[in-house]
Amino acid sequence: MQQFVQYTILGLVLGGVYFIAASGLVVTYTTSGIFNFSQGAIAMLAAFTYWQFRWGWGWPAPIALFVVLGVLAPALGAVLYQVVMKNLRGTSEVTKIVVSVGVMLGFLALATWIWNPTASSPRRFQKFFGANSIVEIFGVRITWHEIISFVLALGIAAGIRFLFVRTRSGVAMRAVVDDPELLELNGGRPERLATISWAGGAFLAALAGILITPITGSSMSANALTLLVIDAFAAAMFGRLKSLPRTFIGAIVLGLTNYYVVAYSPSSWTWTSAFRQSIPMIMLFIILIILPQDRLRGATVLRTRERFQMPTMRTAWIAALVLIVVVFSLQTIMQPSPMKTLAYGMTLAIIALSLVLLTGLAGEINLAALSFGAIGTIVVFHFGTTGTGLDSRMTLWGIILASLVCALVGAVVALPALRLRGLYLALATMAFGVFVSKMVLSEGNPRRLFGRDFTIFPGGTLRIPRPQVGPVDFNSDKAFLTLVTVLFALLAIGLVAIRHSGYGRRLAAMKDSPAACATLGMSVVRLKLSVFMLSAAVAGLGGVLMSAQLGAVSAERFDIFLSLSLLMVTVVGGIGYASGALMAGLFLGCSLIAMTNTLTKLNVDYASIQAIFAFMISAVTVLPATIGITMGKNPSGAVTDIVKGLNDMKQAKPLMFTVIGLEVGFWLLTATDVLTNWNFVILTAVNLFLVPPIGGAIMKKRAFAKFGILPPTPAEFIGIDRPYTQGDLDEMEIVLGLDALGVAAPVLHEGEPAHAPA
Amino acid sequence: MSATISDSHLSNHDGNGPLLELSGVRAAYGTIEVLHGVDLVVPQGSVVALLGPNGAGKSTILKVCSGLLQPTAGEVRVAGRVINGATADQLARLGLCTIPEGKGVFPNLTVRENLWMATMSGVSLSDVEEIAYARFPRLGERRKQLAGTMSGGEQQMLSMARALSVNPALLLLDELSMGLAPLIVANLYEIVAQVSEEGVSILVSEQFARTVLGIAHYAAIVLHGNVTRVGTPAELEDELSAAYLGS
Repeated sequence: MQQFVQYTILGLVLGGVYFIAASGLVVTYTTSGIFNFSQGAIAMLAAFTYWQFRWGWGWPAPIALFVVLGVLAPALGAVLYQVVMKNLRGTSEVTKIVVSVGVMLGFLALATWIWNPTASSPRRFQKFFGANSIVEIFGVRITWHEIISFVLALGIAAGIRFLFVRTRSGVAMRAVVDDPELLELNGGRPERLATISWAGGAFLAALAGILITPITGSSMSANALTLLVIDAFAAAMFGRLKSLPRTFIGAIVLGLTNYYVVAYSPSSWTWTSAFRQSIPMIMLFIILIILPQDRLRGATVLRTRERFQMPTMRTAWIAALVLIVVVFSLQTIMQPSPMKTLAYGMTLAIIALSLVLLTGLAGEINLAALSFGAIGTIVVFHFGTTGTGLDSRMTLWGIILASLVCALVGAVVALPALRLRGLYLALATMAFGVFVSKMVLSEGNPRRLFGRDFTIFPGGTLRIPRPQVGPVDFNSDKAFLTLVTVLFALLAIGLVAIRHSGYGRRLAAMKDSPAACATLGMSVVRLKLSVFMLSAAVAGLGGVLMSAQLGAVSAERFDIFLSLSLLMVTVVGGIGYASGALMAGLFLGCSLIAMTNTLTKLNVDYASIQAIFAFMISAVTVLPATIGITMGKNPSGAVTDIVKGLNDMKQAKPLMFTVIGLEVGFWLLTATDVLTNWNFVILTAVNLFLVPPIGGAIMKKRAFAKFGILPPTPAEFIGIDRPYTQGDLDEMEIVLGLDALGVAAPVLHEGEPAHAPA
Repeated sequence: MSATISDSHLSNHDGNGPLLELSGVRAAYGTIEVLHGVDLVVPQGSVVALLGPNGAGKSTILKVCSGLLQPTAGEVRVAGRVINGATADQLARLGLCTIPEGKGVFPNLTVRENLWMATMSGVSLSDVEEIAYARFPRLGERRKQLAGTMSGGEQQMLSMARALSVNPALLLLDELSMGLAPLIVANLYEIVAQVSEEGVSILVSEQFARTVLGIAHYAAIVLHGNVTRVGTPAELEDELSAAYLGS
């Protein structure tokens, strides 16, 4: 009995903290419509900052608390909204998710940058008033910290309810969700309300972070802390991101389950600890199953700012050929180690292609692409290899089987969430991803299943050989690189073909308006399910090839944060295009590694300015996140700009031939060993990034001179390069809102007839 | 036949000059221009009706006036002051009241909470409630009900209650009749007429011309993003069908 009371109380406390985190999510979602994936990262950042103040620098607890909770966290939330989230109006759900995921990854990188995880002494985070300030209730010993946590949770529940029901600002925050324009017409300021709510959300996240860190008792780790607060997603989902009472119940149930599992699971269950960690995600999954179906909303056609041009089949074939030719000519001058990196990037690009299929074409979201890769890898490891040792090879049937299994698993994961909006499917995949990482990939020991001993992930590392199809062996680096490149090109062509087919048009239609599709007699669920399965199969294929490229893979290769990075980079590249996937794979798989390696080498070579290079290495780790955060400004991705640049270049033939000619020249020089590889890389970069803009500017100037047209003057040069005109003055007057200057503003002349119809 | 609201027309009301004036207003959604130089005057204390078929630009004119859409050229003047660049919430606090197209209510807020939002323009909640419930007893009965669960007519009453209670200087009404039964529409326009008698200037857009001509002092026909004709209802009566059906 005493044990029951003890664990009940602990469960209530944990549930209370979950509620604090979840309520922050609800507050920000209600006012800005953005599900804040970075909630966990804010909590983590706050916990680390508090640790720094309290124990790193020895500040007294009240001051440290005030600075973190009263100043820094709300400021962070407000800045986050003003700088990043505000730009997300009118973007699709994907962009919203990706941007907040970008913020999360950025904070994670920042935290590992500032607080080195390999520090010699582990960071200890203590409970309020120390671990020994204990009271006895019902014969159970409870620390003051736990009492404070639970009381705070109750107080916050009451406080938020009061805010939302009893104060005008709170009611206005709810009104913002319904119709921000109408609120403006009422005289309200939606932007200010949203900023305040983000400040509040960040405060709640920070509070949850500081409370939960000592409860779990382990030493501080950025990833673990972030995931800890992400567990609160389940509670927020139980309240459908709206209802606070239901969120509270969800959080409490979550907390209690967590401790009851520890208390009452049989000791023969060796997987209890892994199971306990994945309880929130399992609950999230169950909640998604039992949530009632969304109504199809027909009235609101989704108008988003993302625009993707569909390439023609001809363009797709040409682009694929160009890719193969380029990679082929590169591999003749490449050394083995960059070739491995390139192949790795190419396999990532194949996984990213699965995201283009799912998100770019169908508008659905998968946050755990690499987890499907993990499933595929496990299948291949157990059923898809022949031979032993160095002679072992992956079989074609193994690859096919892995893809099929991934498709089936994808169906199981997606089915419950398909009835719901995109965000829910995204969360379901994330739950799946965390589940795979925690429960499947940790299965390093043999288990007896159906009377057979079986180990899913023996020893924590799987050795995956490269494939052999019939007589063709892809074991060498060169052959493998060719294989993945050709495969990527074929899949990309297939993607474009799908987009041009009736099936692809149905997907595009579903992306724009599920309601309209339903009225036309399409089964939206079947459509969603089929595309998700297809995408999961491609992700599985890519994952298998990635494992084959690496040779030996451990669980970290399929981490949920990696999946998130890949999705983010793909969206940055352009989620609507196969080339966006290519950019994503190469960026994540090659550029980042190349940059880090180069900087590390420089760091060793020039020890005197080591600090600068060390700084730059850390900066590179934050780089992808910072790119992701800027997505709101240009949600269609970088490829859109590149394609526009290429089209411009097509108009300027001399420039195009110059660039191509130079590039071929560089390649020839490198192939004949006149140039070193490094010089080739640098010259190529200069050729691609500097020659077109400079050449373009020169050509433009010539064209203007030829036709005798004055180029348009930038606003700051009016009056310097050319005199002011009446038009300039009129424009300035409108901008300044002046009307008393008496300059020719368009004035209605009374008595003069208005335009009459002809 | 005089085509514009001339000085003589103005002097029929009180001579304080126009309350709302648009001159050469152009406006665009993205790169597509929908208003091509609109000139329009709402004299103090008068009701001006914007008439015209679907897609003529009536709602866009109101959006520009209310500050939701910034004009790309031309000037919007309220009481002689240029308001280009002012945001909708600033204008609302300065005494402009806009009832947008459709139901101008927050569906997930209760009736009382909806009225509470109206107080942001500076009136007290008790005043707003008193006026609203006195005028529409139905709203008083349903003060705790979510606005989204009420009938279309009741929702429109709620949005009109805001117009009545915030005591605006200028009232902008967009398609009051949309989706409502004729009887309810007639009732609503009766109220509009009463508001106008209290001295409020009103600009109302309406697709169904006949429903509004009875209470309007002036009407302007909007076609293809231009104001093509302005006059008293009597003057325009004959031309209406031509404007709608194309001449």
